[in-house]
Amino acid sequence: MKELEKVKRISISSTLFILAVLVGVLAYERPENMYARNTKSTLEDLTRLNYIIPMDKLDSPDVVLVDIRRPYDFEQGHLENAINIPAAEILREENKKIFRKLKDSNKLAVLYGNKIEEANIPFLLLYQLGYDNVKLLSVNNKYLHNSLITESADVEKPVANIRAFIDESVRNATKKEEVKKPAVIPKKVIPVKKKKKLPVEGGC
Amino acid sequence: MMVKKKLARFLSFRYVLLALILLILAGGLVMLPKVEKQEGIHAEQLLNKAISTERYVSTDELSDKIISQDPSFILVDVRDPQSFNEYSLPNAVNIPLRNLLDEEYEAYINQTQYDVIFYSNDNFYADQAWVLGNRLGYQNLRVLKGGINEWYNSIINPTVPNEQLAAEDFELYSTRKAASMFFGVMYPEQNRVEEPVIEKPAARKVVPVKKKKKRPVEGGC
Repeated sequence: MKELEKVKRISISSTLFILAVLVGVLAYERPENMYARNTKSTLEDLTRLNYIIPMDKLDSPDVVLVDIRRPYDFEQGHLENAINIPAAEILREENKKIFRKLKDSNKLAVLYGNKIEEANIPFLLLYQLGYDNVKLLSVNNKYLHNSLITESADVEKPVANIRAFIDESVRNATKKEEVKKPAVIPKKVIPVKKKKKLPVEGGC
Repeated sequence: MMVKKKLARFLSFRYVLLALILLILAGGLVMLPKVEKQEGIHAEQLLNKAISTERYVSTDELSDKIISQDPSFILVDVRDPQSFNEYSLPNAVNIPLRNLLDEEYEAYINQTQYDVIFYSNDNFYADQAWVLGNRLGYQNLRVLKGGINEWYNSIINPTVPNEQLAAEDFELYSTRKAASMFFGVMYPEQNRVEEPVIEKPAARKVVPVKKKKKRPVEGGC
């Protein structure tokens, strides 16, 4: 009898165990968005591949422009033939479908925003999710006098040589000081005022 | 006895069944990891963080921090070593973007003690470093808004406000100008100012003394 009870206990616990495993398997949920690339390979691609497309290479029919700005900005003015997918909504199912479709039909999705830095984030995210047909358009847009002004953007181009600027400022500051010294000294002579006052005294 | 026998047979059969089910499940578990292991936080989470502008530090905030010797942050220059050697911010560490995930640099960016402020010429590469670091769950990563270029335009070479602008603009300008001096820029008047200051009081001293002497003379007349 004792043995029978032991067997009973073992079978009950193993049934429970199986149930738990079943529940686990059923509840196992794949994340909605699966990364296709890990960070290391993404970083490698970023430094190796050219993912920035200049404005003048847009003529190809295999290019679809994607405006990642808010719908309000998009309606005010956008590039010709662009579709609007706001950056915050790129992971929505219907939008991912668009990117998937473009990828399947071997078309490039070229993203742009007000600044290229703005389109950078959605690009990077989509790229990690495996949409390697996504590129960046190197333009900056601004809205002026009721029209959209598009300028080509130089990514990460330094505006100035700061070291040279500082050295130059130091040189200028020390040089000018020496030149101006003699110019300042004559101001010391105030006798002009004395002359004016003397006639007054005389008048009295 | 009969009951016992039946029960025993049934139980031994159940064991086989249980063993089979367990084996199948175990086999299933072996199959599961075939789905590629996902590295880092969920994509939706990453998007939400990246869309927000919370990560940005303005150049004014940064220059304040450096001048006040705030010890709570480290600066990471993600440009190439050549640009870094030419000019960079004080006490910055150079981790070129391509080497960002190298083991030797992990100690800098994967820690919770300091804020890490990434910067490049603009915030394009710095943002990329931020996105990758954030996906890996690294804490306290920030980005210098506008990067070195904005640093130059606002701190090193601030534009003089024109006269129609508000008083705050002038205040901001003088703060920035003072900051630029801190970071090594010199202004011509910086040297010139000192000497006239000495001269002018001397001139003033002389004149009033003479006037006093002259007044009694006038009165006497």
